[in-house]
Amino acid sequence: MDRMKRDHDGEELPRELAAAWKVVEARAAGRAARVDVERVAAQVLERLTRGEVAAPRRLRWMSPVVLRAAAAVVVVVAGAVIANVATDHVQQTTALRLPVAIPAMDSLSSGQLEAVLEAAGDLNPAADSLLPVSGTGGGIGTAGASLDDLNESQLETLLASLNGAES
Amino acid sequence: MGAPALAVAADGDLIARYLAGEELAAAELVRRHAAALARFIAAHGAPDEELEDLTQEALFKAFRALATFRGGASFRTWLLAIGGNVLKDRRRRWRRDQVVALTPDIRDPSGDPGSHAEAGWTAERLEEGIAKLARLQREVFLMRAQQGLGYDEIASGLGITEGAARVHYHHAVKRLKAWIA
Repeated sequence: MDRMKRDHDGEELPRELAAAWKVVEARAAGRAARVDVERVAAQVLERLTRGEVAAPRRLRWMSPVVLRAAAAVVVVVAGAVIANVATDHVQQTTALRLPVAIPAMDSLSSGQLEAVLEAAGDLNPAADSLLPVSGTGGGIGTAGASLDDLNESQLETLLASLNGAES
Repeated sequence: MGAPALAVAADGDLIARYLAGEELAAAELVRRHAAALARFIAAHGAPDEELEDLTQEALFKAFRALATFRGGASFRTWLLAIGGNVLKDRRRRWRRDQVVALTPDIRDPSGDPGSHAEAGWTAERLEEGIAKLARLQREVFLMRAQQGLGYDEIASGLGITEGAARVHYHHAVKRLKAWIA
């Protein structure tokens, strides 16, 4: 107790607080005096004897408010993911849906091929990379490309790629 | 021989005896510390009707955790710290249930009626101020002002540094002075 008191000796509460603190402490002591210590001892012993386990601390995240908020976040996120997947699916499907069927290469006219390429270029920019490069090999994009510039093997490669992309 | 031995035994001996299965040692520890614990809890602003229950709960939790008591602080200080934790949990419930603390008006018998009234008003303000302090400030203030503990003992009991205990105490005093001014 000496060690416990040591530090406190000589240090008093400021005068403004001391009088009020005396009253507060008297009230606290008066209320505490009404606690039946023997009854408390008996109850504590009874609980200990019974082997009662202290109530598990309820985790903050398990409170109803937090759980409701978490559920709302899950619903919003799940909705966003589903919407995103659906949009991607539509885009992908659209990109692969060409306005003209792609029959065998031999049966397509130049115009038909150009229509195929335009559709592919509009809907799938990646198709541009399939085009041959003219000049230096030839920098032609979809817009400026003429299928007449492509030889048959290049066209076959292009169509095979488009067909491959579709499947 | 059992009863006299209990009467003079140190807390540490009683703890060892309780842990060895002697239940009466627990009862003796309760008798020694329950009143101080109840005063500490009462000064936190606990409602009258819950004071005994809170005291009992803190003691029960302390005995359940007694095997973890390492003796860095005294048993009393450790118990007060557990009382602070029990109060923290209960305060959440009070906030939820909007319980209003009821404290009896026990007047200081000395002095004239005018000063009684003023002292009563200031004491009520002080009680409010104590309740409004941050938890650690409140616990350090009460451990020091009410229980007379040293900073080293408070620091051990609350698991903070001695310097932090000093800072919390002085902040608490400063805030309380401003609150009742």
